Amino acid sequence: MKKAIFITGLLFSIIGIAFAQTGVKKKRPLPYEFGRVVINNYSEASNIAPVVFDHWLHRAKFTCRLCHVDIGFAMTAGASDIKARDNINGYYCGTCHNGTRMFGDTSAFSSCKEESGSMNATCDRCHSLGKNVTRKYDFREFVKGWPKERLGNGVDWEKAEEQELIMPYDYIEGVSIKRAKLVVQDDFKIVSKVKGMPNIIFSHEKHTVWNGCELCHPEIFVGIKKGLTQYSMVSIYEGKFCGVCHNNVAFPLLDCQRCHLQEVK
Amino acid sequence: MVHIKKILSVFIIALTVPVLASAADYSESLQYLLPPAEYFGQVVLDNYSQKAGVSPVTFDHWLHRAKFTCRLCHIDIGFAMKEEMTEISAADNVNGYYCGSCHDGKRVFDGREIFDSCAEDYTENEGKRCARCHSDAESGARKYKYKTFSEKLTKLPGNLIDWEKAESEGKIKVTDFLEGVSYKREPLKAQDDFSIKTKTWTADVIFSHRKHTVWNGCELCHPLIFPSTKKGTTQYSMKQIMKGEYCGACHMSVAFSVWLCDKCHITPVKQ
Amino acid sequence: MKNIARLFFIGFLLFNFWGRGFIVGGSLNTVYAQEQGDWKQEYAEICAKTQNAMELSVAELKDRIERADKLQERINKLEGPLAETEKKVFTKRLKMCRELYSFALEYKEHKE
Repeated sequence: MKKAIFITGLLFSIIGIAFAQTGVKKKRPLPYEFGRVVINNYSEASNIAPVVFDHWLHRAKFTCRLCHVDIGFAMTAGASDIKARDNINGYYCGTCHNGTRMFGDTSAFSSCKEESGSMNATCDRCHSLGKNVTRKYDFREFVKGWPKERLGNGVDWEKAEEQELIMPYDYIEGVSIKRAKLVVQDDFKIVSKVKGMPNIIFSHEKHTVWNGCELCHPEIFVGIKKGLTQYSMVSIYEGKFCGVCHNNVAFPLLDCQRCHLQEVK
Repeated sequence: MVHIKKILSVFIIALTVPVLASAADYSESLQYLLPPAEYFGQVVLDNYSQKAGVSPVTFDHWLHRAKFTCRLCHIDIGFAMKEEMTEISAADNVNGYYCGSCHDGKRVFDGREIFDSCAEDYTENEGKRCARCHSDAESGARKYKYKTFSEKLTKLPGNLIDWEKAESEGKIKVTDFLEGVSYKREPLKAQDDFSIKTKTWTADVIFSHRKHTVWNGCELCHPLIFPSTKKGTTQYSMKQIMKGEYCGACHMSVAFSVWLCDKCHITPVKQ
Repeated sequence: MKNIARLFFIGFLLFNFWGRGFIVGGSLNTVYAQEQGDWKQEYAEICAKTQNAMELSVAELKDRIERADKLQERINKLEGPLAETEKKVFTKRLKMCRELYSFALEYKEHKE
């Protein structure tokens, strides 16, 4: 009986790994593609090209918290269930993309419109999958001269902010709540179980500056005490825990040394 | 029953003797399994070439292999590990990605300027430059020939270049860092070598982390090719390797061929 | 005298709990409309302390969680042209803040 259970368990774990598409490498997104999300809850069904959202532009202008907590976007493509009507009603993309909200001296172009029917050039600015749309901002021009890093977008976002090349908004009038000042939690060490791999130094400060608290707790990290939630690199690669962000928007997991910082003597 | 088992195992062991003894004739049989040495590691890239009216690109690994680590191209620059998976377009090269990271007409390497890759428009004159990549390997448009290049290098059975020896003998010098492409990192401690138990009569495999990380770093294999960090979690067979998974991602096409069994199956046969 | 006082008292009570609806009729809608908008204000008040949730006391966390649960019920009953969108959006926003308070509460209770 025990043997049967063990074998079944082993088989399932093998199958699990098999479905995880291992053993072969995939194409790595180029710097301008990294962080790309395709949103297609209703577009195709409405005979419109699905939305292609590249994180990098918004990443340079707003904190993660603003969109994912204040506005309320989900953290996986399609999970927000955004409809054109939601945008028209002034939520989700429509929170800012209403043609009137100003950021500096530019206004965010109006998203979805009341009149259904023919698409126009403005619609194409987002609904661009499969189309040859020239975006307003060119990635290379945008990040020219910025401090560079390897992998991901190829940009050192941290340094860019330090050097005030980017100054992300963290508050939108009429949308964000006036909250109490953030109280930063301690940094801590996560011990790596693989012999020889340096321990991870996790910086709460760096994460909360952009994310606040609610983005990670408890949805992504549910353990209330350090050590309660045990996870391995395998689950991280599958897009859980650290992988929710560090698989496709924040610096990618390929960059081992960005986290594995503390040499184990 | 026991008798039959004994007889069978003796028979099988007896079979392996002539096979092992004919190791000297090994390379002769390899010719049926491997392509000619100069084509070993060749990759044909045709995501867009023929559609654009140019010959597909044939990329021979051996030249770049002698000058750069695997890590530099496959991690720092970001080439995929499978033919046509990178989906390189001329625009990408012109913008300084992929081939264009080095082939930009400006970067100096080995005392020479590296020729420019794709251009927005090209004239007939420039066609010669295009043909350096967009051509068949034997078309005569290539600068370096395998035969002359590999003459002085130690060979493996099948006339393949023994890259390990080439490096240890100082005949090739491999670059791992390119300015503007690579970023300095604290080197991760090289993991231990370990043995992989085989489930058949073949010798166990001794896997050398040290040898692999010298050329590949960690990221090339982990996590996409080998997702687990705990030995034994990922189970795979020679069948999968032959399909280009796991070890086969490199050792079926570019690194020493999987047909050279005794390069990996090193420990003595189990008694 | 006493009877007059009693009459006034009963009249007062009736007016407050029953008569108001008829006498002040029109303004009841305003009250209701205000209530409709009030829930957003309530949301802003409840979730204003997420950035320092760990500093709040157990009692305050419990209070905010309770208020959040009540507010969620109000959100579920929203009506009007924006209702579908607002239900979806505010359910998500409120959930994040309510769950964070719950997380902080669990931490504090576990510590004790």
